Amino acid sequence: MKSAGKERMVESECAPASGRKQMFTGSARKLRDTAADWHNLMLKWERLGDEGSAAATRIVNLSVSKRAEKDVDITAEDDTSFVNERSGSHAELDKDLQDGCNELMNILEKMAHIVFKMEKISSSVKGVCALEKFQQEQGRSSVSPLFQTWPVTRFDEVSSKLYESYKQELALKQTIVKEIAHTSDPDLLLVYLSSWLHQPYIEDNTKLLLESLLLETMHRTL
Amino acid sequence: MSTCALSSLHHALKRSFEVLEQTQERWNGALSACSPLLVSLGNLGEQMRALQRAPLERTPMRAFPDLRPRLRFKLLQAADALVGKLLEQTSVLQSLRDMMSNQAAAVFQLYAQHADALELSSCLRRSATCPSVADMMGWLQDAERYYHNEFLKRKVLLETLRPNDVSDLQTSPKRWESLTNQRGDDCITGEARRASRPASCQPMLRCGTLSPSRVSHPFRDIVQGGVLQRVLVSIV
Repeated sequence: MKSAGKERMVESECAPASGRKQMFTGSARKLRDTAADWHNLMLKWERLGDEGSAAATRIVNLSVSKRAEKDVDITAEDDTSFVNERSGSHAELDKDLQDGCNELMNILEKMAHIVFKMEKISSSVKGVCALEKFQQEQGRSSVSPLFQTWPVTRFDEVSSKLYESYKQELALKQTIVKEIAHTSDPDLLLVYLSSWLHQPYIEDNTKLLLESLLLETMHRTL
Repeated sequence: MSTCALSSLHHALKRSFEVLEQTQERWNGALSACSPLLVSLGNLGEQMRALQRAPLERTPMRAFPDLRPRLRFKLLQAADALVGKLLEQTSVLQSLRDMMSNQAAAVFQLYAQHADALELSSCLRRSATCPSVADMMGWLQDAERYYHNEFLKRKVLLETLRPNDVSDLQTSPKRWESLTNQRGDDCITGEARRASRPASCQPMLRCGTLSPSRVSHPFRDIVQGGVLQRVLVSIV
């Protein structure tokens, strides 16, 4: 029921394959729903990535401002009234920084949840593949492709590849979140922001894999 | 015969300056669209520089040994995409340059067709509200040259830009900015407005000539020097 809902979500974005909707059952239905899940999870990931990028940039900007204010205080530490006046501004900056970090942590948590779901669907595809293979060996299922051209093992390969990319990217983002508010090196800060934004472990072929998966499962048409 | 030829030349010139005015607006629009792309390109240069210098091995990022080449690849890819978008914008500039070039060519062709029928004095006559045919043809040629040069400068900058050269990327916004010929831009805007809107251009043509000092246009030096001479030579 849940997957069917998601399928509707992906189909509202993709053009229907033809005027009439084909009905799928069994493993084909399961794999088709999985393809829709991949599409929707990757979309959610992108959205969270953008939100996280904005939060991370804010954190970096606040850290830089905080350090700049500290430097001003060091040079003016003899002037007590000036330092008192600045302490209020420090507290405000600290609060903003804490808020920014909390926001980024929340986003990361949601991203981790997405990767958890990806792991689940990847293992479920593995299960479907094992079942199909077993049924083919028993002669209860035909060797012909479930949809158009892909053998059933291809779905497992694609799911595993997608999951590995996102798992690695999540690990990188977790490290960035741990470090970003405690780093003073401007080059490192820029590399953290850049890494968050450009997602080096999500290669371009992940999009290609997803599109081919959607095409194979007839969510998309040529 | 001479009046008829002069009238058709005036009509063609007026139309050309109207086109020039529209071209200038579209030209500025295309340049404005390039500015944020150039800023992004400069930012990518900064990111690449930071990636080169960041001591990743001394941080928890060492758990990702292939991060540097992977991120570098992503940054290069982003830079390539931006350069592609900028080249798309320069193709808009190219089409505008070609349009102005065709306009100028058409006017000069018309002049060449009627050259025998046109009197030199009528081509050089200015009035309080309307510049002479020679002036306007000179301005049109200046405008054509301006777009040609501006387009080429930008095209060369983008063609020679190496996305894998960090300093090249970092300095690209400033170099692009330095190409802006503000004086030329003001001249084009001023001239297009002046020449395309002489409301009573035709009747006023015969109201006598104006002293050169009153005809204040930014290309005055050029018009009085090279371009006007060239027009005169072609008349002779």
